[in-house]
Amino acid sequence: MARILVVEDERDLNAAYQMILKKAGHTVDSALNGQDALKIAEKFKPDLILLDLLMPIMGGLEFLRHYDLDKQTDVKVLIFTNMENSPEVNEAYNLGATRCIIKSWTAPQSLAKVIDDVLAKKAA
Amino acid sequence: MGQWFPKVVHILKADGSALPLIERPIVRMFLSGQAISEKALYLTKKGKTVPVSITVSPIILDGRPVGAVQVFRDITVDNEIDRMKSEFISLASHQLRTPLSTIQTYAHMIDDDYMGKVNNEQRRALRTILGATNTMNELIGMLLNIARIESGRITVNSKRLNTSALVQDIARQQSIVASNKNISVQLRLPKQAATIKSDVLILKEILLNLVGNAIKYTPPDGKVILAVKEHPDTVLFMVRDTGIGIPKASQERIFAKFFRAQNVIRQETSGTGLGLYVVKGLVQTLGGSVWFKSTEDEGTTFYVSLPKIYRESAALRASPAEL
Repeated sequence: MARILVVEDERDLNAAYQMILKKAGHTVDSALNGQDALKIAEKFKPDLILLDLLMPIMGGLEFLRHYDLDKQTDVKVLIFTNMENSPEVNEAYNLGATRCIIKSWTAPQSLAKVIDDVLAKKAA
Repeated sequence: MGQWFPKVVHILKADGSALPLIERPIVRMFLSGQAISEKALYLTKKGKTVPVSITVSPIILDGRPVGAVQVFRDITVDNEIDRMKSEFISLASHQLRTPLSTIQTYAHMIDDDYMGKVNNEQRRALRTILGATNTMNELIGMLLNIARIESGRITVNSKRLNTSALVQDIARQQSIVASNKNISVQLRLPKQAATIKSDVLILKEILLNLVGNAIKYTPPDGKVILAVKEHPDTVLFMVRDTGIGIPKASQERIFAKFFRAQNVIRQETSGTGLGLYVVKGLVQTLGGSVWFKSTEDEGTTFYVSLPKIYRESAALRASPAEL
């Protein structure tokens, strides 16, 4: 099982994802924006980051620019957004995100499954 | 006055590229005898470009065009309003989706027994909630797509994809809806799957829309056929149904925004009149074309032809005027 950092500004959704991932047996920590996520990631050392894109203070793209995935090659980033077909998603891939899924299309069970798939993959 | 008009009136295509003489609206009007209306860029004496809408109407004498009235209208403000409208729709859609995601996620969690075992009656209620949120989600997705298509903000993420696998995936996704109406969904795929370089999510959305329509507008016990044909430079997708068809009078406007055919409105089948408008915009985004053949009460076939390799310059930016 993996260490997963949930970065989502909507508290209700953040709590829901934590619940789903804990139930699937993962160790979970959470942040409400990119800035907090940078601090928490440093100590928590996640295997995977579940990252929203639109957040106050620091959004997902800004977080990726600071986090520098080139140096964190073991960490996978799963973008969780409602902005399909958008330039932001493309930019997230350019910054090293492993995969992108659409929030409102994803049921809890499939979220847990996607996470297993991403974790099973070698670093992108 | 008295000068050769292309020397005096300098225009460029709406994307800023050169407009050959033969493609100028006034020349095309003389060749076809039909009035033409389109968007372009007007180049001023000082070298500034102004977005304009050009309308050319023929002056007919004895059935032949002998002259023309050409009207240029500055559409700078129209474009700005369009952009603001698209931004507004985009923002509003995101704001609508956030609470919707919360409703969906928690409803799914209850349905998956995360909060204890639910009984059958509760499960039926949850499925109703999830069904309704899905409908709302699709509608928001449609609005977002329109905003992106109209503002040219849609991004193509071109990768190699297997068309047969994609079509099989679409058929699987639609199989529940189809089986509820006892409609058989059949596939006609080439022996060797055609591989293309395009955007899988956009193509999926195009085909889901067309197959969804085919099932929706086909009476129970009918048939929907999904076919792929490979050509040297293009791949052709076909979605054929044995449905109610599109009446002749409605065919010309079928891709127009908010348009719904008369026979569909009569039957009160739910719909927004946005699906095919989005389909056309998305197909053009991928540099392809879409058309159909239909006979009322017999059925409809939609054709989508896409280049095997997506090239940005080949993709037409769909402007509302073209749709």
